[in-house]
Amino acid sequence: MLEDLLLYALNVASELGAGYAEARYHKVDSMGFMSRNGVLISAFSEVSEGIGIRVLVEGSLGFASTNIIDKENIRKVVEIAISRARAHAKLLKKPIEFSEARLGRARYIVVPVKDFANLSLEDKVSIHREFWERVSKGSVREAKIPVTTLSYNEWTEEKIVMNTDGTFISSIVPRLSIHYNIVVHHPQRGYAQRFESFGATGGLEWLERWRLIESGEEEAKTLEKVLLEGVEPPRDPVPVIVGSEIVALMVHESCGHPSEADRILGREAAQAGKSFIKPNMLGQRIGNEYATVIDDPTIPGSYGFYLYDDEGVAARARYLYKEGIINEFLHNRATAGIFGVESNAAARAMDYASEPIIRMANTYLKPGNYSFEELLEGIKLGVYMKSYMEWNIDDERWSQRYVGLESYLIENGELTKPIRNPVLEITTKAFYSNIDAVGKELRFYAGTCGKGEPSQGVPVWFGGPDVRLKSIRLGIAL
Amino acid sequence: MSDVNLDNISRFVNELIKKGFDDVAAKVEVVDSVMTKIANSSVSIVQNWKRTIVDLYLAKNRRIFVLHFEPKSFKDLQKHVDSVISLADRVTESPIYAPLPEPSKVRYVEEVIDKRVIEAAHRENIESVAGMMQVGYNEIILSSSKGALLEEKKTFVQGYLRAFAQPDGSGQWCYTSTTLDLSGLESMAFTASRYAVDSRNRSEIEPGVYDVILSPMVFANLLEYITSMASAMSVIMGWSMFMKNRPGDVVASQLLTLQDEPRNTELPNFRSFDDEGVETCNKLVIEGGVLRTLLHNTKTAKYMNTTTTANAGWINPVPWNIVVRPGSATLDEMVSEVRRGLFITNNWYTRLQNYVEGMFSTVARDAIFYIENGKIVKPVTKIRIADKLGNILKNVAIVGRELYNIQWWEVGIPMKTPYILVKSINISKHTI
Repeated sequence: MLEDLLLYALNVASELGAGYAEARYHKVDSMGFMSRNGVLISAFSEVSEGIGIRVLVEGSLGFASTNIIDKENIRKVVEIAISRARAHAKLLKKPIEFSEARLGRARYIVVPVKDFANLSLEDKVSIHREFWERVSKGSVREAKIPVTTLSYNEWTEEKIVMNTDGTFISSIVPRLSIHYNIVVHHPQRGYAQRFESFGATGGLEWLERWRLIESGEEEAKTLEKVLLEGVEPPRDPVPVIVGSEIVALMVHESCGHPSEADRILGREAAQAGKSFIKPNMLGQRIGNEYATVIDDPTIPGSYGFYLYDDEGVAARARYLYKEGIINEFLHNRATAGIFGVESNAAARAMDYASEPIIRMANTYLKPGNYSFEELLEGIKLGVYMKSYMEWNIDDERWSQRYVGLESYLIENGELTKPIRNPVLEITTKAFYSNIDAVGKELRFYAGTCGKGEPSQGVPVWFGGPDVRLKSIRLGIAL
Repeated sequence: MSDVNLDNISRFVNELIKKGFDDVAAKVEVVDSVMTKIANSSVSIVQNWKRTIVDLYLAKNRRIFVLHFEPKSFKDLQKHVDSVISLADRVTESPIYAPLPEPSKVRYVEEVIDKRVIEAAHRENIESVAGMMQVGYNEIILSSSKGALLEEKKTFVQGYLRAFAQPDGSGQWCYTSTTLDLSGLESMAFTASRYAVDSRNRSEIEPGVYDVILSPMVFANLLEYITSMASAMSVIMGWSMFMKNRPGDVVASQLLTLQDEPRNTELPNFRSFDDEGVETCNKLVIEGGVLRTLLHNTKTAKYMNTTTTANAGWINPVPWNIVVRPGSATLDEMVSEVRRGLFITNNWYTRLQNYVEGMFSTVARDAIFYIENGKIVKPVTKIRIADKLGNILKNVAIVGRELYNIQWWEVGIPMKTPYILVKSINISKHTI
């Protein structure tokens, strides 16, 4: 029994002097196909399975893992984790301590509406062919589509987390993800390109919701239109409607990441960076009353779904910014201990060989009550940026840039000409302070968020409605 | 996995052939490493790994399957392989299929291990450091149905350090090697610390077009994208600025020559054989500004009617180690050539609007300096490079004479890169 082996690891760790020990069985089983222009390049299958051990010894944190799941090897890795943690304890400025937390003892399984086995292999392969045929032949008129690629991936994550504080959490979570790339070319107007990702927890029921092939057709049509008809954005400051796809990424980058307590404390300083939020900034204003950003792991079907984190703490919605105020940080038990609060269950590991670190789950801007037409109303000259390709943000999460892909001029309250490569380059405070209307339709987008050393990619959703910003000067990408 | 040895792997490959596959390759990688992560000048965690990773390449009737496992034993793999057999005739033929090639030969380096970098960093008057130090051992065994049975062992030392100096200074540098070289690690710490101290009291500048000196860290980050786009598979899949080019095309300044060097044993990604068992060779990717070759495995080579460059990846050819041919200038000489420009020591978050056009931006990070009339005038902050990768390559005006070993969180491919001066780069910043 895996549970017996995990318990054995905890007992060995306690015998060897660990003040805290945690053992996690973690299996990620995936399979899928990658295609180009409708033809399969290859099929792939990956299984990662093993046990990760984390110990706290004299205030020093140690981690070790093994994929040989037997007593002998488990004892070895526990010994390694403890001896190396102990050796570094004398270098610590301050011992690490874990906070009290609401630790769970539970099992949960996400049951797909449509199991992966409900679609034949041939049908899964035919998705690739149909995508290419419909996108390449029916969607563009003057331009050509030299390449589309499509990657289909179904995967299941299985975990058992136990620790010396009494946690027992067993979970099985299946996920589906699809990524595509469309390149559109026109001899005189050059190339345009779109990467799109879909991802969710559950099964094949998501295929229908995503309308994959229709999405590809629409994107290809849009790319051609941008290439052939795209004009420059206005040079002067104008109202900008930021589409939900961009808003979603913005709240992930400029609220979720800077609210990670480990980043605030400098633990990621040499990698993903620090945060403009300092430990004493809870309660300070970052935006106006529309700036409410929530991170909630418990949204059913979400790509970042979980009910207990990898330290066994019960998950709940976290209100990171609330009506413009910096309200709550994302915590694991170590950072919660430093801040004197309870962990809000943000610890996640990518696989058995990774330490659990603070991660977002599903981060979104709280929707308002405007319809899209109401957002447009009254704008004499403005811009609507619907989608993006290029983006980045500085390592304090303050200065950020998003380059619009599908974007339109707004004239007298209506969308008119497409705009090519408008640039929204804005500080975090300026974004959250310049929102003057928020749409009512909340939409989510899938991503793989990278953080840690070695870098760990974990599934997340980010979401938001369309929002309207007051007067903003846009740039243009070359 | 306790049964890793040449005989067992070879036997396993033979068993797969008997099951009916036309081509089989098995790559077993053993990694044993320790990583110490440092934050606020203190150890935040010590991580240890001993992993045995098995990658399998299977082809049947021109259908391709790539499998990745971390099994207890070869026996554990049987059920997975059996499930692939049942799929084999139900998926479609791969357009890039080519039979596995004949194998080649092996070379080794000595094992090394090390620590001692925090102390070196603290010799400068800085507030705190953060970073990572990793030492490890790596062993690769490759067996193929063509008779390849190859083994290679190596060690690696990697580290990077970010130093902070009050009130707002920061500097970052890195080092990578296959052998223990304390001077390289100490130099890393000194450089990060010096840039931290020198970049205190930053001010803002206006966006616009500047001549820019890129540090080896920044140049390596951009070259990571560029050389990955030189993979023939990136071109085939529409993820490459070289979609518009053929070997022989001018793609860069004539001052720029860069080579893929799998046989350079100073850098951790050296390989004597690629994943198809072909003996590797050092090769010019760009010579005097001219694109000499894309990076190929036998599949992409057949697809493009050329020969492999021994950069397999069973599906995706990969760069091994990238080395830029040095020029003759010192950093001071480069600075003295700039009338109005910038010196960017580090960057991160490079993203592209369009891979085919090479349209990108990247955030300048840590020490950035404004240069006027050949002199560094002041440290600046909050800017990004926003241009086309093709422009960066073509506008290289001076190449530095010293190469630095670069590999860190934002540069995965080990590189030896110099400081370079690039003319007329577009610099952007937030407008509000």
